[in-house]
Amino acid sequence: MTVELIRIYATSFLGTLGFALLLHAPKKSWLPASIIGGVSYTVYIALLELGSHQAAAMFAAALVGSLLAQFCARKMRMIATIFITLSIVSLVPGLGLYRCMEYLGAGRNALGLQAGVSAMIDIMMIALGVGVGSFIFRLIATRPWLAKH
Amino acid sequence: MAMGESRFMEPLQLAGRLIMENGGETYRVEETITRMGRAFGLERVESFAVPSGLFISYRRKDGDTETSVTRVRKGSRRLSRVDAVNAISRQVEQGKLTCEETLQRLKEIEKNPTGISNLLLLLAAAASGAGFTGMFGGSLLDMLISGVTAGLVEALAHGLERLNLKDAMATLLGSLCSALLPMMLFYFTGIGSVEPIVAGALMPLLPGLAMTNAVQDALRGDMVSGLSHGLSAVLTAVLVAGGALVASAIMSMMGGVPV
Repeated sequence: MTVELIRIYATSFLGTLGFALLLHAPKKSWLPASIIGGVSYTVYIALLELGSHQAAAMFAAALVGSLLAQFCARKMRMIATIFITLSIVSLVPGLGLYRCMEYLGAGRNALGLQAGVSAMIDIMMIALGVGVGSFIFRLIATRPWLAKH
Repeated sequence: MAMGESRFMEPLQLAGRLIMENGGETYRVEETITRMGRAFGLERVESFAVPSGLFISYRRKDGDTETSVTRVRKGSRRLSRVDAVNAISRQVEQGKLTCEETLQRLKEIEKNPTGISNLLLLLAAAASGAGFTGMFGGSLLDMLISGVTAGLVEALAHGLERLNLKDAMATLLGSLCSALLPMMLFYFTGIGSVEPIVAGALMPLLPGLAMTNAVQDALRGDMVSGLSHGLSAVLTAVLVAGGALVASAIMSMMGGVPV
């Protein structure tokens, strides 16, 4: 299990790092953003392993990612968009979307719809997690330990 | 009595357009324009931005009101430029930059490359595709295939950019290739596991940024921008899915890859 989680972390880190460059993110954001991207997907998988419902795990992972991202943006005095976007790219359900299309392409519509709906729920949970994360962060934004450096 | 447009409008327009084109949120565009305008000593600075354009209006010292409309074309999504404009606006607020210096700096941001070469972008796409394939449970070989595919698709996107093809078309073709190449490889040689490879290679095409901005805009009450970004995200996702669907339909016709 631990080995599996390390593998998951390393690969989602790599994926997010590539994405950071593709979006032309500033150089000094590459490392912290990739660390956060790795954390959010690892949280998602770990929660699934612990028996969490898929949607709940996705929400929690997006929430953790969004909070870390905004904390990092504040500390590094950079725009939050960079970190928030990169914190959730690993969560976007590429596999679910692909499965949906694969089934539909093979004419197995019921399975395709099932995969599609599941991917849609994931996307909604990501949006919700990011939204709630922003809301919480604004509530605590005035605390001294969050002061800009 | 001064006639014609004052020198203040151009830096405000350019700052707003740069943020919008490169993936900044709507509220950031409006806030930056208002703050910079006030720092220039203008009164009643108002701005209204949507993803496709921005409106700026302020009152000059001689009492005349100036208004401008700037059309924003779909941009290049270079986040470091948003960050750079943000830094400049902060300096303007602290009174460290004059209006002319600001305009000069902003023009440099628009003109200068972001320091990420095309080759590096290719490698980035490859790393991204390979990483996500591994994340979806692919083996090292799968990651390699996915990396090569994602790199090729990125190169294709650059080629299409030169041909001045619309973004939508590039996304569709990109996703078609991302799906078809690994499927063909498997079909003819039996190498690789198709599902994680294709899903990983498709990830760089999915609309993460538009999605984030849609949520952020809607939460701040910018409903028009939220809807616009949301629709853009949905459209991109549909195009990506469409390309993959066509690919798997083609494979299905060839007696293709088992699900």
